[in-house]
Amino acid sequence: MSTATRETVAGRVGDSAVRPDAALKVRGEFAYSSDLFADDMLWGATLRSPHPHARIRSIDVTAALTLPGVYAALTHADVPGENRYGLDHRDQPVLAEDVVRYQGEPVAVVAADHPETARRALDRIAVDYQVLDPVVDAELAMAEGAPVLHPECPGGNVLRHVRIRRGDPEATAEVVVTGEYRVGMQDQAFLGPESGLAVPAEDGGVDLHVATQWLHVDQSQVAHALGLPPEKVRLTLAGVGGAFGAREDLSMQVHACLLALRTRRPVKMVYGREESFFGHVHRHPALLRYEHGADRHGRLVSVRAEIVLDGGAYASSTPAVVANAATLGIGPYQVPNVRMDCWGVYTNNPPCGAMRGFGAVQACFAYESQMDKLAERLGMDPVELRIRNAMREGSTMPTGQVVDSAAPVAELLRRVRDKPLPPPADPTDPRDLPGGVANTTRGDGVVRGVGYGVGIKNVAFSEGFDDYSTARVRLEVLGGEPVVSVHTAAVEVGQGLVTVQQQIARTELGIARVTVLPADTGVGSAGSSSASRQSYVTGGAVKAACERVRDTLCALAATRLGREVGLVDGKLVTADGAVAASIADVLGDEVIERTVEWRHRPTFPLDPLTGQGNAHTQYAFAAHRAVVDVDVELGLVKVVELACAQDVGRAINPQAVLGQIHGGSAQGLGLAVMEEIQVVDGTVRNPSFTDYLIPTIVDMPPMVVDVLELADPHAPYGLRGVGEPPTISSTPAIVAAIRAATGRALTRVPVRPDDIALAGSASRPVPSRPEVPCD
Amino acid sequence: MIPFDYQRAEDTRSAVATVTARPGAAFLGAGTNLVDHLKLGVAAPDLLVDVSHLPFDMIEPLAGGGVRIGATVRNSDLAVDPVIRQRYPMVSAALLSGASGQLRNVATTAGNLMQRTRCPYFQDVTTPCNKRRPGSGCSALEGYHRDHAILGASRHCVAVHPSDLAVALTALGAVVQVEGVKGARSIPIIDLYRLPDDAPQHDTVLEHGELITAVDLPALPMATRSTYRKVRDRASYAFALVSVAAAVDVERGTVRDVRVALGGVAHKPWRARRAEEALRGAPATDDAFRAAAEAELAGARPLRDNAFKVPMARNTIVATLRELTRREEP
Amino acid sequence: MSNHVAVTVRVNGVDREIEVDPRATLTETLRDRLGLTGTKKGCDRGECGACTVLVNGRRVLSCMTLAVTAHGAEVTTVEGLSSGGELHPVQRAFLENDAFQCGFCTPGQVMSAVACIAEGHATSDDEIREWMSGNICRCAAYPQIVASVAKAAAELGGAAR
Repeated sequence: MSTATRETVAGRVGDSAVRPDAALKVRGEFAYSSDLFADDMLWGATLRSPHPHARIRSIDVTAALTLPGVYAALTHADVPGENRYGLDHRDQPVLAEDVVRYQGEPVAVVAADHPETARRALDRIAVDYQVLDPVVDAELAMAEGAPVLHPECPGGNVLRHVRIRRGDPEATAEVVVTGEYRVGMQDQAFLGPESGLAVPAEDGGVDLHVATQWLHVDQSQVAHALGLPPEKVRLTLAGVGGAFGAREDLSMQVHACLLALRTRRPVKMVYGREESFFGHVHRHPALLRYEHGADRHGRLVSVRAEIVLDGGAYASSTPAVVANAATLGIGPYQVPNVRMDCWGVYTNNPPCGAMRGFGAVQACFAYESQMDKLAERLGMDPVELRIRNAMREGSTMPTGQVVDSAAPVAELLRRVRDKPLPPPADPTDPRDLPGGVANTTRGDGVVRGVGYGVGIKNVAFSEGFDDYSTARVRLEVLGGEPVVSVHTAAVEVGQGLVTVQQQIARTELGIARVTVLPADTGVGSAGSSSASRQSYVTGGAVKAACERVRDTLCALAATRLGREVGLVDGKLVTADGAVAASIADVLGDEVIERTVEWRHRPTFPLDPLTGQGNAHTQYAFAAHRAVVDVDVELGLVKVVELACAQDVGRAINPQAVLGQIHGGSAQGLGLAVMEEIQVVDGTVRNPSFTDYLIPTIVDMPPMVVDVLELADPHAPYGLRGVGEPPTISSTPAIVAAIRAATGRALTRVPVRPDDIALAGSASRPVPSRPEVPCD
Repeated sequence: MIPFDYQRAEDTRSAVATVTARPGAAFLGAGTNLVDHLKLGVAAPDLLVDVSHLPFDMIEPLAGGGVRIGATVRNSDLAVDPVIRQRYPMVSAALLSGASGQLRNVATTAGNLMQRTRCPYFQDVTTPCNKRRPGSGCSALEGYHRDHAILGASRHCVAVHPSDLAVALTALGAVVQVEGVKGARSIPIIDLYRLPDDAPQHDTVLEHGELITAVDLPALPMATRSTYRKVRDRASYAFALVSVAAAVDVERGTVRDVRVALGGVAHKPWRARRAEEALRGAPATDDAFRAAAEAELAGARPLRDNAFKVPMARNTIVATLRELTRREEP
Repeated sequence: MSNHVAVTVRVNGVDREIEVDPRATLTETLRDRLGLTGTKKGCDRGECGACTVLVNGRRVLSCMTLAVTAHGAEVTTVEGLSSGGELHPVQRAFLENDAFQCGFCTPGQVMSAVACIAEGHATSDDEIREWMSGNICRCAAYPQIVASVAKAAAELGGAAR
C-alpha cells in the first residue's frame, strides 16, 4: 500500500474531455429522433391552418379516413384530456377548436402507413374557415378597441407588463440621446427537425421517444392533454439535432401520442423544413424606445425605456422573455434612475418564445446602440464610455438586486479592445472581401469598421421559480473495476452536457469508467436545457449525488476497515495519505445508489409596481469587438473578425466553452446581418433555407476568444452559465462596426444590403472612429 | 407528390417523341429544381423521361471559333473547363457563384437554363400565382417582393429568373440548340426567355417536348476579359439580388465594344443593350459607366419594397466595368 | 401507387437490387429502405447539405436525387467511410477537433469534406470555407470544421483519396 499507486483519471472537470457520443456522431450512428423506427409503425402528419386568424365552422375528416392506408384522422374532439397546453399559461389548444390564431396552427392529425399517404389524407380533410382580420401589429394590439385574441387574458392582448422604477424616474440629465430600435423575428433553425416516435403501452399509457429540451415539462403537458396520470406517459430522449430554445414548447408530442393510443400502433412524426418553421416558436420581434441621460463626463444618470415584444398567438415563454428584457434592459451598467416598461403582447403572428438569450438579445441591441450614440454625442470613445459606467461586483441592478459575484464588465471590454486588430483585407483575394466567392467586390469602396458590444444575461430560471435538477448516481464493481452510472433527465442538445456529467462524476469519485445513462422520465426532472442553466443545475445535482455516494462509501469503508478513510483519486485513503483499500475491495457486490434533488439559491418575484426584487440567481457577461469590411457601394458586409471575452466562472470543459462562444456569436451574427422570418399580414413568406438565410462557413469569421474564470462562490465549481451571453453582444458589436464604416443609423436588425446602399448615390462613408483607446 | 412513371431515355429522338406525345410528361435532367417542384406540388408530371445520361456531355470547338457546350455537361465540369476559364471567364465565375459544390456536381447546363423562379408565391401552391396557375393573380405584386423584378415585369408577374449561368450566356449572345419532333432549331438565348406579359406561365419559347441539346458560345475575343458579379444577402449559397455579367474591350481609354447583362432584376436574364449602346465609343470612366447604367435603368419600375435594386444594379454595373477596364489598362 | 422500378445500386461496396417508387429520393431510399440513417434529411430541398453522399465518387445532395436515377451507380454514405471499425481520417479529425455539437449536420459535413479534399479544394482555410459552404452547421462549429478538413487534407496528401 502506497500513495504511488494513485493516479488521477483523465477527463475531469477542467479538461477538454472528448464527448462520449463523438464517435457515434462522426460515424452517422447516433440515433436522432428522426432516425427512430419501429416494426409496424405508422406515420403521422399534421393539418395546419393556412390563415393567421379564422373561425372554424366545421372540420370533416370522413374523406381522409376512406383513403386506403389511413388509420386515424383526429381533431380537437378526440383529445381525451384538456385540449390545452403551454409552458407558462395553458392557452394553446393541442388541436384548434373554434378558432385559429396563427398561420400553421394544428387543426387535425392523421396516421397512415406511408408518409405520402398521410400527406394525401390531409388534403382530404375539409375545414370550413371564416377568415378574420389578423391582428399583426403588436403596438396596435395593445390599443383600446383592438380585437381581443384571448378573452381569458385579464390584460386584453397584453400578456405581461413589467414595470421597473428605480431612483427618480423623472431625473434630468445634461446630455440626452433617444432612439427607436427594431429587432426582426429570428428562427432557431436547428437542423434536425421536430420528430419523435410514440409507442402505445400495455398499461394504456404511451412511451414517447422525442427530441426536446425538458422531458418532464413535456410529460406533464402531454399527460394533461391525454387525460392520463404522468406515470403512464413515459418519455425517453432521442438524439437532438440542435435546439436553441425551439424545443422548449411542445410540437408533435401530444399529436403522436394521440395517434398511437388511437391506432394501438407506434406512430412516427417528422416535420419537414417548411413545417418546422411553423412547428416551433421564434425569437420575439421587438420595438424598443430608449432615452439615455448622462452628465457631460459620460456618467449615466437615467435610462427610460419602453419595449414591446410581439409574442404572437400564444403565450409560450413570453412572460419570462418580458421579465428578462425588462430586468436586463439597461445592460451591464450602473444607472441610478431607471424607468422601464416592457410589454409582451398577443397578436396573430407566429408564436414567439424561447431562443438563446431571449429578452436580453433584443434589449442589448437597443441599449448598446444607445451607448454608441451617447459616446458620439459626448465625443467619447465608445469603449471608454462603457467602462466608465460598467457594472461590477457589488453593483445594484435596476431591480434593486445586488450583484454578489464577479461582474468583470470593464475587464471584458478592455480585453476585446486590446486585442491586435486584424490586418487589412487582401484586395486581390475576393474571398477576403465582402461578397466573398461571388467575386462581388474588388476592394473598391470597401471601408473597415470596428464596433463593440457588451451584454448581460441571467442564468437559470428566475422570479421565484422552483428550479431544480435531479441526479441518480450509482456505484458498483463490474469485472473487478468500480463503475459509475449517472442518470438524469437532463437533455443533451449538443452543448456537451453528457460530457460535463461524466467529468463531474470522475472528479468527485476519481473513477474513470463513468456511464451517463439515456435521459428519461424514469428519474426526477432536470429542468430545461435552456437559460444557460444545465451545467449549473444538473451539474450541481450530479456533484451532490456523487458526494452522497462518496460519503456512503467512506462510511461503509470505515465500518469494514475499522478506521476513518476518505476517497481520493478513486482509492480509499487514510488521514495520513496512505491507500487503505480499493473501492472494489470495500464494495464487493454491493451497490451504492443515491438520488439528489438539487436547487440553486432561491429567487424572488418582482414587485408588480416597481419591479424590485432579487429575481435572478446568477448573472453572466460577455463582450465582443467586431471588425467588418463594408462595400458601401453594394451594401455588402463581411465580418472580418470577432473578438469575444466572457467570464465563465469555471470552464468545466474548455473546448465545449469555446464551441458555445463560437455558436452563440454566429447566431448573433446571423441576427445582425441576415436572419429574419418575413411575416406579411400574419403569413410567413420565407419558410425555407433558401429564403431564411443562416450563416455558412464563409460568413463565420475567425474568432479571438478570451475566457475568464472568476469563480462564483454560490455555484458548483464556481461555474457561470455559458451558452447565451455570446449570442447577445455579437449583434450590437457587428452593427456598431457597420455604422462606423458607413455612417448609417441602422436602427433595425437584421441589416441588409438595402439598408446600407439604398440611397441614390453611394453614401459618402464617414471615417471609422479612432481605434486608439482613450485610457 | 402525385405518382408518376419513369423512363430512361434511349435516345434523343424517342425522348422528344415521348414527351411531345404526352401532355403530362416532362424531361428530367439532374432534377435539382424539378425534384423540388415535385415535392412542393408545383410540378405534377405523370411521366418523367430521364435525359441526364444522353450523350451531350462534351465541350467542343465550333467552326468559326465558338464553343459548343453539351446540354448535360455538369456545372462543376463546365466551370473548370480550361477553354471556358480562359476564353469565357464570366461563365466560370457565374457557375461558381451559384448553389454549392454538391449541386454543381449534378446540375446540367440545360437544367440550369430551365430552372424556374424562386418567387415564394410560385413555390407555395396555396397562394395565387399566375405563373403556376394562370389567371389566379400575382401575390407578390402587393406581398413580399423584395427579391423581385424591377425591369420588364407586368402586373401579371413580377418574378425574376434565378440562373447565374443564363446571365453570362445572355451577355455572350449564346445560341441554344433545340431538338423537337419537327426537327432541330437554334434559338439565340436572348429570344429563348420571355418577359411575363400576360402569360407568365411560359418562361421560355420552347414548345412542350422540345429538348435543349447544346449551348453554343460565339467566338467573342473580348470575353477573355469578362467577369460576373453577384450581390446577395449571404456571401455564398444564395440567389442574386442583383448580378452583372460583363465583357469589355477598351482601347486607349475608349470603350470599343462591351457586353452587359443583368440577373436578379427581371423575368429573364436582362441584356443591357441601352447601357451597351451608351458605352460604345465612350471613355472608360466611372462617369460614363454610371451614365450607361442609368440609361439602362431609366426604364426600371421598382415595386414597393425593392427600389434598392435600382441603385444596387447601377453600382454593380459601375463596379464591374471599373474592375474590367482597370484590368485592361496596364 | 406508381409503377415501381427495379434499380441496381452499389451502396458502400454492396450491390443492392431494390424496387423503388420513382418518387422516392435517394435520401429516403437510403434511410427508410436500406436502414442507412446516417444520411440526414435537414431540409429536403437542397439547402443545407446534411444529406450529402458520394455518387460515383462525387459529392451530391441525395435529397435532390431521385433514387431511380442512381441505377448502376456506386453510392458511398457515411456508414461506408470507415473500414473495420477504424475511423476515416476525416472522421477522426472531426472527433479530435470537436467539430460538431449536436452532430446532425456531421455526416453531411464529413462526406462533403472527403470529396472537398479529393477535389483538391482543401489547400487553404479560405478555399476550405468556399468549398464547404454548401454544408450548414447551425451550432456553428465552423472554425473546428475548417481545422478538421485542413488536418485531414494534410494527412491524406491534399488531393489524394
